[in-house]
Amino acid sequence: MTPDMKVMIAGVEFDNPVLTASGCCGYGEELAQLYPLSKLGGLVTKSITLEPRLGHPPPRTAETVSGMLNAIGLANVGIEAFIREKVPFLAKQQTRIIVNVAGATIDEYVEVSRRLNDVAVLDMIELNISCPNVDQGGIQFGSDPYLTEKVVAAVRAVFARPLIVKLSPNVTSIGDIASAAEAGGADAFTVMNSVIGTAVDIDTRRPRLTNNKGGLTGPAIKPIALAMVDAVHSRSRLPIIGVGGISDWRDAVEFFLCGATALQIGTALFVEPEAPLKIVHGLKDYLRKNKMKSITDLVGRLEKY
Amino acid sequence: MTRPKCETVRLIKRRDLKNDYFSFTFAPFSAADKCRPGQFVHLKLPAGEVYFRRAFSVASVETSCGDLELIVKVVGRGTRILAALRRGDATNLLGPLGQPFKLPRRRERVVIVAGGVGFPPLLFLAQKLIDRGHDPKHILFFYGGRSRSDIIERSRIKKLGVDLRIATEDGTLGEQGLVTKPVKTFLQKYGDNCRIFACGPEGMLKAVNELGLALHVPGQLSLEAPMPCGIGVCLGCVVPLTAGGHARVCCDGPVFQIGEVAL
Repeated sequence: MTPDMKVMIAGVEFDNPVLTASGCCGYGEELAQLYPLSKLGGLVTKSITLEPRLGHPPPRTAETVSGMLNAIGLANVGIEAFIREKVPFLAKQQTRIIVNVAGATIDEYVEVSRRLNDVAVLDMIELNISCPNVDQGGIQFGSDPYLTEKVVAAVRAVFARPLIVKLSPNVTSIGDIASAAEAGGADAFTVMNSVIGTAVDIDTRRPRLTNNKGGLTGPAIKPIALAMVDAVHSRSRLPIIGVGGISDWRDAVEFFLCGATALQIGTALFVEPEAPLKIVHGLKDYLRKNKMKSITDLVGRLEKY
Repeated sequence: MTRPKCETVRLIKRRDLKNDYFSFTFAPFSAADKCRPGQFVHLKLPAGEVYFRRAFSVASVETSCGDLELIVKVVGRGTRILAALRRGDATNLLGPLGQPFKLPRRRERVVIVAGGVGFPPLLFLAQKLIDRGHDPKHILFFYGGRSRSDIIERSRIKKLGVDLRIATEDGTLGEQGLVTKPVKTFLQKYGDNCRIFACGPEGMLKAVNELGLALHVPGQLSLEAPMPCGIGVCLGCVVPLTAGGHARVCCDGPVFQIGEVAL
């Protein structure tokens, strides 16, 4: 018997629960050279802003123990070029498409989301209120419950399809932010964005990133992400997409048990582009061995002390 | 452009080339025959000390049996782990990746400028040109290093029949000084109908870039950059372009035209 891998998030059905994370799969074109994107549950694009952004000057990534630091600075083609040049390709892919939206002001979030509302092939948007690498916007919104509710409500008013809010771990209480996002009209959460960190070159005595600090990702942050998923799951009944340091199916099982309905694979793609496919395969085996019919049987089944 | 393959291969041959240089031959790699000079593979190292894959330019291929050779100098953690691989060890290769050198016309004179660890893709290029019928006498192979021990595989280059010109900073082999000095002298005299192909340290590439621009000799430079993903998605390896904007070294490069990148 093949276990049922389908999951439902805010009324959208995914063939499997393993998606690729924003900023780790561009706009899909490169990954599609390696395997059909239909094998993914879905794809989350690089953050899109109103105007094109060059991002920070290099170096903007650094390898760390079991992970990486990055401060790309939301480099992206901007909403116009995205719709003109990237959407036609995405429209042909047999997978769920989620567009990540970022902005420096509420007006920018609203304007980008308004334009995306007209793009029929997109299934959902993911609001990035948690980018640690830009001076304005990003985490400013995601670390203040009042601003979180305000920006989510403003986007909610112009975007008719499901709205995911991507939360930051760099806050005192992720539960408070999640509640604020829910009050603003969020349909689901992505938990979590990267963890603020830095690294220093002791020879030059300078930071390894021109942005001086960056976001830590990769296996190093998995325990933090699991705790954050658990915290949000305890606070809200909205579905959670878990992300943070997932490399293999065992990691994936942990996230489901802590309350995630679906997952995103980020940094692991750089080491193993086929990681999402292997995770789906491993999850099926795990379900079969444990005589479970559906992946949804795992969600939130952590037996706490 | 061929689609990259992601495959598990074994180390079938390992040669110590002195001074921390090693030649590693991996097989069977089904895309070996698709690899072109200037392209690279992204190699997964045994789990543990380093997290990312490491990018290495292809040094040669044996297409009949899917052999792929890398020539690597141990310079850091990743290359140290690679150097510890033994014959028979398995690893995962992703490639070929990146833009290859655009090959010159047969009547053009080829000016290769190799500096230290930038040597491997240029060895592959010289071999490829000769295989395609380029007259080896019309291939100048300038090869520079700090010292005699930095100049590797000399007999192999000579066997190709190319015009090998060595320069070392300490004068222990060939002309004394930076390799760009004899390159400059040559291009000033015979720069017409030449095409430059360079790979090496940043300072050397900068000098070659300036020479090409000043003397109006076209050519290509192969750049190096730390690459988390190697396939163009992470945007971590970008370099600024002279025309503005950024280019990804991994997939818009690593080979760029002289004058294209703001070095």
